[in-house]
Amino acid sequence: MSLAVSSRRPFASRHRSGLIAFFGRREVLPAVLICPVLLFFIVWDTIPTLWLLGLSFYRFSLTSGRPPIFSGLYNYTSILNDAETWFDLSRTFIFVLLAVGIETVAGMLLGLLFWRSDRLPGRRVALTLLFAPMVVTPVAAGTFWRLIYDPTFGILDWFIRSLGFAPVRFLSDANVAFSAVLAVDVWMWTPFMVLMALAALASVPKAELEAAEIDRLTWLQRFRLVILYHGKFILMLGILLRTIDAFKTMDLIFDMTYGGPGTATELVAMTLFRRAFEDFNMGSSSALAVILLLISIAFTVTFLYVLYLRERKAALA
Amino acid sequence: MSGRLSQGLYHAVLWLVALVFFAPVFWIVLSSFKTASQILAVPPLLVFRPTLANYARLFAQPAFEHHFFNSVVLSVLAVLIAVAVSFLAAFAFSRFRPGATNFLMFLLLSIRMLPGSAAILPVYLMYVAFGWKDSYIWMTLFYAMFSIPFSVWILKGFIDGVSPRFDETGIVNGASWLSIIARLTFPQVLPGVVAALIFNFIFVWNEFLFNYIIGGINTANIPVLLATNLSHGGGIDWTFLSSLTTVYILPPIIAVYFFQRFLLVGMTFGTVRGEV
Amino acid sequence: MSKVTKSLRHPVPTEALPAPAGLARRRLLQGSAALGAAALACPRYAFSASEKTSPLAGKSIHMQILGIAGWLPSQLGVGMSPDFARYAKDKYGYEVSFSFADAPFGTLFQKAATSLATRSQEYNIIISDSQWLGALATPHWIIQLNDIIAKNPSLNIEWWSPSIRSSYQVFPDGTNKLWGFPQVGDIIGIFVRKDILEGPGEADAFKAKYGRPLPVTWEDFEKMDFDQWLDLIAFFNRPEKGYYGFAAQYSRDYDAASCPTMSFMRSLGGDIWDPRTGQVQGIYDTASNAHAMELYKSWLKYQPPGATNYFIAEVIDAFTQGKIFAGWQWVATGRTMIPDKFKDKVMVVPPPGFKKPDGTLYRNYIIGGQPWVINAFNDPEHMQVAIDFMKWWYLPETSHEYLMKGGMPCDKATCARPDFDGINPWNRTYKYMLLKSSDFWHDPKYSEMLSDQQDAFTGFYTGQIKDPLHALQWTACQQQRILYDEGTAAKAPTAVCRGIRL
Repeated sequence: MSLAVSSRRPFASRHRSGLIAFFGRREVLPAVLICPVLLFFIVWDTIPTLWLLGLSFYRFSLTSGRPPIFSGLYNYTSILNDAETWFDLSRTFIFVLLAVGIETVAGMLLGLLFWRSDRLPGRRVALTLLFAPMVVTPVAAGTFWRLIYDPTFGILDWFIRSLGFAPVRFLSDANVAFSAVLAVDVWMWTPFMVLMALAALASVPKAELEAAEIDRLTWLQRFRLVILYHGKFILMLGILLRTIDAFKTMDLIFDMTYGGPGTATELVAMTLFRRAFEDFNMGSSSALAVILLLISIAFTVTFLYVLYLRERKAALA
Repeated sequence: MSGRLSQGLYHAVLWLVALVFFAPVFWIVLSSFKTASQILAVPPLLVFRPTLANYARLFAQPAFEHHFFNSVVLSVLAVLIAVAVSFLAAFAFSRFRPGATNFLMFLLLSIRMLPGSAAILPVYLMYVAFGWKDSYIWMTLFYAMFSIPFSVWILKGFIDGVSPRFDETGIVNGASWLSIIARLTFPQVLPGVVAALIFNFIFVWNEFLFNYIIGGINTANIPVLLATNLSHGGGIDWTFLSSLTTVYILPPIIAVYFFQRFLLVGMTFGTVRGEV
Repeated sequence: MSKVTKSLRHPVPTEALPAPAGLARRRLLQGSAALGAAALACPRYAFSASEKTSPLAGKSIHMQILGIAGWLPSQLGVGMSPDFARYAKDKYGYEVSFSFADAPFGTLFQKAATSLATRSQEYNIIISDSQWLGALATPHWIIQLNDIIAKNPSLNIEWWSPSIRSSYQVFPDGTNKLWGFPQVGDIIGIFVRKDILEGPGEADAFKAKYGRPLPVTWEDFEKMDFDQWLDLIAFFNRPEKGYYGFAAQYSRDYDAASCPTMSFMRSLGGDIWDPRTGQVQGIYDTASNAHAMELYKSWLKYQPPGATNYFIAEVIDAFTQGKIFAGWQWVATGRTMIPDKFKDKVMVVPPPGFKKPDGTLYRNYIIGGQPWVINAFNDPEHMQVAIDFMKWWYLPETSHEYLMKGGMPCDKATCARPDFDGINPWNRTYKYMLLKSSDFWHDPKYSEMLSDQQDAFTGFYTGQIKDPLHALQWTACQQQRILYDEGTAAKAPTAVCRGIRL
């Protein structure tokens, strides 16, 4: 691995003529290689983001038939002054925290469980079944879970009833709906964290594990000092990806509760969708989108900072 | 307790976990062989006479073929394009470390950060202004863009793990950069490439929102068909939903089965290149 | 020759068909050029619509209709279009083919608006929900029909009830500007399981318990007020036998909880706003409206667990699976609500009336149904075909055919037919309730107002909010602000609204 760090070594570039040689030159080549991605980036990210930013300063509703009117920070102040925004945001933060937390812990535990399962009969099939929730189309998963959760027709409440308990109104009880939606998210994305955990465990050098065993480290010590130390990078990356995605959760809400009952499951991504594509209030929704983008960037910067610290420490060591 | 017994128990637990996660999917698959009232039956039916009528009805829809074709074309083309460009960029980031590498890598990730409904908004307005709505090319390129950040990240990790000495040897032997990239580096990072392909494939395969808003009659994929034809006479068409879902999850499940090893290695982001 | 291949029972968007030629015309500039051309051409071709001399004779035109997915009346509108193709060939001498795009209720407006905002004529004719008229008309995405109706007297139709015009045609409310043609009328009916109602011993048991006869005929139900309904569904609420008394619509989705609640509000004599001044506060947040919410909530006692998550589809599942005695439902779903196994076992009756101080019963329910609207970006040829299509749609033969297939026409001539009531089990209630229903907002801001209202209503029905009046006050503040910001309301939200929270 240390070789990768020392890649700054200058290469002797050979002299050749023509365009290919020009592009092949060390000063030009990186730019040529990065160019396509950069082009994609500019067309589909920079331009739309600037557009978004610009629109967020206008009062502009598609259905009003009026041209956009510059309104300065009006959209921002009205969003930030609306108590509902803060409720939605805090609900979303709780959702992200719980979803990613549960998925990480469960994923890690299951990962450890499956770690040494080389001799499991049908391991490949078992893992495929375990990973299956990830590949189900969210539209279908959401709708079908609504049936599974239905107190009258659902298999879950049938089970609860046959055990002699009162049926749980999973999606129609304001106190339960949030957890019910959360549970589906956990079902869908824990497998992803299992995958990340298995990858993290695989990155632990066998020699160090054996050494730890010889040193008679306790199970917890081994986990902390050896496994976590080596697997941290991959796990953190998994958590980062999940956090970003959980913050964006919409499909499931859209199909299961539509944000209800009341506002019990209203997450910001849902609010945003509604404001943009039901109300067609482009100015206000752009402002909300910019706010969400800033929050996501803050998330990511924090995560990357932690990751980067690890990289630097490794480089120093 | 004897070793064999404890191992048997251990294996049973593993299978149980896998089956618990699979159960809801199994329920969808099972439902696809039931009639509409059997799906809603209380108590739930586990034993019943399976019917293939739902599938016959599904495959008889002319729309099915068209949408399925769209799903395949859009997702396959998009991930191929994305992984190809990402590979080149990742190579440059890894080998030459241009000044802004970290910043650029971060910027790329920021594409993923925007909630779908936020990202779709300016993209929608842009597509409207340029007349790109409902076009295969622009739809594919859009999906490719969405697949790029993850691909660059994963591939950079893998290329980091390939010793630059290969490059040097190549250069000494007179190889061009092109052949170094294609012949020397590429085969060594294949697990990363496959992992990137599959992960992005699953995303594009199941994508609904963007297709619904910036797509249209020509480019609609199966999730859009699913959402659209879900209702029937005001009610939900459970047989349609379950049979179409069952058919639709088959390709990604098969991919996960056959490329499992690559997926596991791929998610190590290049820190491991052997067996997992 | 028509290319419409969809079957009626199982809708298939005909995306697989060759793309209409007009599809290429969706660029911004072309679109606006088409708009200009349409505006200029409008009066001229409206004149030239007379037979034989049709300027389109000999041409071949492809039309695309956007309708509501899985909604029988929408599908009928499309399913019957081959008849129009034949008619057009005979009468005007041009070929027309149709394809159909659809979207579910909750997202159809997105589909239409995202396309129309591009000034595209992708969808030549659209089946819109009635509340969308304002949002579609204000940016001039659909054409105003006054001139067209003036030049085509056959489109000047006498409707069965005055609310047809005000619900499906007029925007803004109270003006004479017309934007849509009724595609289907729809009202709330209650579907009652006659076989349970007429079960042995029920009548005696009911009489013994409540001291009055069990309602059995349509006329009995017509005379029922809210309290009597409550008794009836309480009587037939038998969870131990596997069925409940009732199910209605309380979901957060779209306008599910709103339509019934606003129906109760109006039937109790209240209202939701003043369309002329845009005033909400003071009209909406009243004790009477809060009482309406309490009444609608009180029905929940006799409904299956989870009924607060019910919308149209859930009521259908519960009813057709025999889990409820009676179900609150839009009658347009009649064919699905009454499957073959329930043939002759279900009657459709008017929802409860509310006693006025003078003792008479009053009903003012929210109307359903959808109008046809015509894309303003259609080029002159497509515009002409769209108008010809409308003229064909309101021919007595077409109306009758539509009625026979389960559709619900709105014209007086068809509704007044002596055989009308007998054709479908819900027809009598349909006609009756059309006279006792009206629409809610047509304002372009309706979806924002609806969204806040849905939050408040479902919050109250599921117990998140305890005080209905508070829910109404909060909603009134939100709606007043939305309308004031837009310039529709004259007055700003009052000081009460500062710091108010749901």
